[in-house]
Amino acid sequence: MQSTICALASGQGGAVALVRLSGPRALDLLKLLTRKADSLEPRRQIFCTLYDDKTVLDKALVTYFKAPHSFTGEDVVEFALHASPYITGRLLELLCENGATPAKRGEFSERAFLNGKMDLVEAQGLCDLIAAANRAAHRVAMASLDGKLSERLGEMKIKLTELLAQIEVRLDDVDEEMPRLSPEFIRTQLTDVLQNIQTLLDTFSVGRLIKDGLKVAIIGAPNSGKSSLLNALVGFDRAIVTDICGTTRDTVEEMLELNGQKIILTDTAGIRSHALDVAEEEGMRRSKRALEKADVILFVLDTSRPVTAEEKQLWADIQQENKRTLIVLNKSDKPSAGTPDLANLSSYTQFTVSCKKGTGIEFLKNALTAPLNSAPEDGLVLSNLRHYEALLRAQTELETALVQLEKKAGGEIYAEHLRGALTHLKDLLGEVTPDDVLGVIFSKFCMGK
Amino acid sequence: MFVCETQYDVVVIGGGHAGCEAALAAAKLGAKTLLLTQNLDTIAQMSCNPSIGGIAKGQIVREIDALGGAMGRVTDFSALHYHMLNTGKGPAVHSPRVQCDKKVYQFTFKHFLELQPHLEIMQDEAVKITTSDGDVSGVLTLRDTLYKTKTVILTTGTFLGGTIHIGTVMTPGGRYNDMPSNLLSKNLSAELGLHLMRFKTGTPMRINARGLDYSKFRLQPSDNPLQPMSHFTDEKEQQKRNFLSCYITHTTLATDKILRENFQRSAMYGGNIHSQGPRYCPSVEDKIKKFPEVTSHPLFLEPEGAHTEEYYIQGFSTSMPEDVQRALIASVPGMKNASITRMGYAVEYDCADPIDLYPQLESKIVPGLFCAGQINGTTGYEEAGGQGLMAGINAALKVQSKAPFVLRRDEAYIGVLIDDLVTKGVNEPYRMFTSRAEYRILLRNDNADLRLMPHAFKLGLLDKKYEAAFEKYRLLTDKLKANLNTSVSNEGDLFPWSLSKARTHAEIHHKYEGYYERNKKDAEKLAEIDAIKIPEGFDPSSVRGILFESSVKLREVKPQTLGQASRIPGVTPSDIQLLAVHIERFRRLKNAQKTA
Repeated sequence: MQSTICALASGQGGAVALVRLSGPRALDLLKLLTRKADSLEPRRQIFCTLYDDKTVLDKALVTYFKAPHSFTGEDVVEFALHASPYITGRLLELLCENGATPAKRGEFSERAFLNGKMDLVEAQGLCDLIAAANRAAHRVAMASLDGKLSERLGEMKIKLTELLAQIEVRLDDVDEEMPRLSPEFIRTQLTDVLQNIQTLLDTFSVGRLIKDGLKVAIIGAPNSGKSSLLNALVGFDRAIVTDICGTTRDTVEEMLELNGQKIILTDTAGIRSHALDVAEEEGMRRSKRALEKADVILFVLDTSRPVTAEEKQLWADIQQENKRTLIVLNKSDKPSAGTPDLANLSSYTQFTVSCKKGTGIEFLKNALTAPLNSAPEDGLVLSNLRHYEALLRAQTELETALVQLEKKAGGEIYAEHLRGALTHLKDLLGEVTPDDVLGVIFSKFCMGK
Repeated sequence: MFVCETQYDVVVIGGGHAGCEAALAAAKLGAKTLLLTQNLDTIAQMSCNPSIGGIAKGQIVREIDALGGAMGRVTDFSALHYHMLNTGKGPAVHSPRVQCDKKVYQFTFKHFLELQPHLEIMQDEAVKITTSDGDVSGVLTLRDTLYKTKTVILTTGTFLGGTIHIGTVMTPGGRYNDMPSNLLSKNLSAELGLHLMRFKTGTPMRINARGLDYSKFRLQPSDNPLQPMSHFTDEKEQQKRNFLSCYITHTTLATDKILRENFQRSAMYGGNIHSQGPRYCPSVEDKIKKFPEVTSHPLFLEPEGAHTEEYYIQGFSTSMPEDVQRALIASVPGMKNASITRMGYAVEYDCADPIDLYPQLESKIVPGLFCAGQINGTTGYEEAGGQGLMAGINAALKVQSKAPFVLRRDEAYIGVLIDDLVTKGVNEPYRMFTSRAEYRILLRNDNADLRLMPHAFKLGLLDKKYEAAFEKYRLLTDKLKANLNTSVSNEGDLFPWSLSKARTHAEIHHKYEGYYERNKKDAEKLAEIDAIKIPEGFDPSSVRGILFESSVKLREVKPQTLGQASRIPGVTPSDIQLLAVHIERFRRLKNAQKTA
């Protein structure tokens, strides 16, 4: 049976984004997201609410095209959404979580052509597109990925292949003389790889950021203007979506949408003002924790007064974190007390703002969300989403292997899941063929008559 | 030259495990078949180990049996010892292996061939395959006789340019004391243009059991109860026979020392052999060289027959000179007083690159020429038998202008084997492993009949008299698979199947239920792209945008379906996407031309 595929069909930017879903499960998925059980009239645009678990993801214009009267010739659903990378990204994720797969480049057109919806002239363009994607993917595969990432992937490939070989060699042991593999060994290896996968999932910034949002910590001495910065940032954009309490009670997190991105601001401002009796070091400890959790740090300085000893300590802590840090020089509406006396400050990007007047806020806002926006423009969201999905699927396989291990299901079952994981990771690790596994077996084990 | 009057449909060259199955299958399908062999008394000879089956190989024998081949039945006929391997592991990897009486095996097989209608067997050596307009037209023999034929199946085993090595002594031979076939080798490469390669394999020494100290061995008795190899063997009757035991011993530090001191005197390490041997079937000198940390290797003593004291020593394959072989035997516990009856040796032989074959095992270079067994770079009786059967079927189908019969990877180990050979080629002798099968859960010993017999009945490979019982059995297993507790009785005569077989099968199916579905689903996806044929006149390697490396591979393999193309190592999913579009484009253009 054909798979059901989805992808962002419009470019980024603009007010409306179009997500297309095509394949036999398209209508089921639409019903799932809209929670409407009644059948939809084809080729008629309806306004409906899309749900993400208990929350509303977006209100969107949705059109259902019944096969064969659609672009691809299959059942197609098109979602016209508010153009927010968070909303489109999360919708694609939801679709994939429920059985769709991210479309390959040119795949909608390919299906259209194979289903007789496109003529030969149009097909030429399609071929060029696939060929270009083929070359690009090949280049990516050939070029060594970012050092740490490729190192992790390499380790993972070796671990999985060797574990599979350890299991396979026993299944194929002609002499039945090989000692059994201990469950502890298999468990350790699986757990190791699972940890690696988790780390990798975490490094896929776009996937995580789309899902969890960009964590921004606003750090600064009391009265440097943290709260007014927060208000200034929010005031220019949509209202705060929800207030959520941090898992630890000592920081307050606020989720908001900035330039269409989900941002979680960790504001340490309230802490000290609400708990003046808390000792100085306790305040420091909380700031430190906020720093640790953050993806980006906004360090707020009041330029109308000299730097304090507390700020010097904060700055030292911030630099230790080695994270993306933006320096916010606040209160530009007041006379300056001179360049802040902090080491190394000039090697960071600085923003001169006045929260009171709103000057410089737009710059800061754009700089804050720039890394998020740059990803979709390169078309990286799609490929990363594919990788992200692949890792999630591999994770599920290996977790199932662990469950089966507890049940003592047997080597041929563990092997099924290891092979499954390797198949999902083919794009990331390169293909691991039975010959590769046999290669490991023959080099490590003396088997055969 | 004497020109034989008969116009044959199929001439099989070689009477080993591939050739015998090929000849039987072709003749069964009604093709006028001739089997040529250098020596009728060594037909179906077990040149190496005295056993049939083994891990993954046992499944292949069950498949051959389900498709009407003789290997399983001959095995049961000559059985000395049954052993179901891997019973400590899941049923998907349970593999039957049977020790056979070598002489009984070969004479029984010969008898099978003699009884087969449409089949003639003839003692003669083929030296040349003649062609007319490029197609196979006949076979010329050493006696200067010409047999006219439409197709030829080459099953030459280790005989093409065979050279035997014992230490530094080299003698021509396909098997010890059996002449090689050198003229044919020249004809294949120089005149027909086949791409020949050189592979190596080996066999251990045989010893006389008189003088063995059995107290030093671990006993390995025959299974009780046993599972016959063939679906058609009466289990209860088989159980009444007498069986022999095997014995297990091991090499010692003394063995290790002898090997180390004499490395340079072995044919492998002394420099006489340069061809590629199988990594998984290493000689004992290989084992010591590659795994110096392992100081004791298991050795298995297997009887060569019921009327002989000769034992085969599995694990002791070697190409060391005679004095070293004698010392090796003396170094093994329990064998001090044993005498060697036959020396171990290595054999080098020519094989032809299987990448030059279509999935029906027909040559892309010479239409009408089929290849099966070791000539395709495989080792093992079972791998040979499976290919022989498929080549025999397909040669007959070609003569009858019928579509080829190709097994998919999810249908049979035989499908995996042949797809691997023709899609990936070989760079060492190929042996089947369960790890080569991505649908291992589907390809089991207990369901070979259900997987393949429907094909066999349809093609006419199995006796019609079994069809009613098989249908009953199939329905019964379906019922039990749906619900294990269904009450079933009075199912009528199921022989050779039984209610207990159906139950066993259904229980195994249940154990793997989720996995069975998962494998099936993956297989369906594969079947979808395997159904997309690469049309005649369409050259996948010339498609613009295909990666260079892929296009080289595509030109070499000439895949028959999009599925086969997708399995070529290095061909990317985007390449396949492009091919899918271009095939459709090609089809539409063709249609437009037709209507114009």
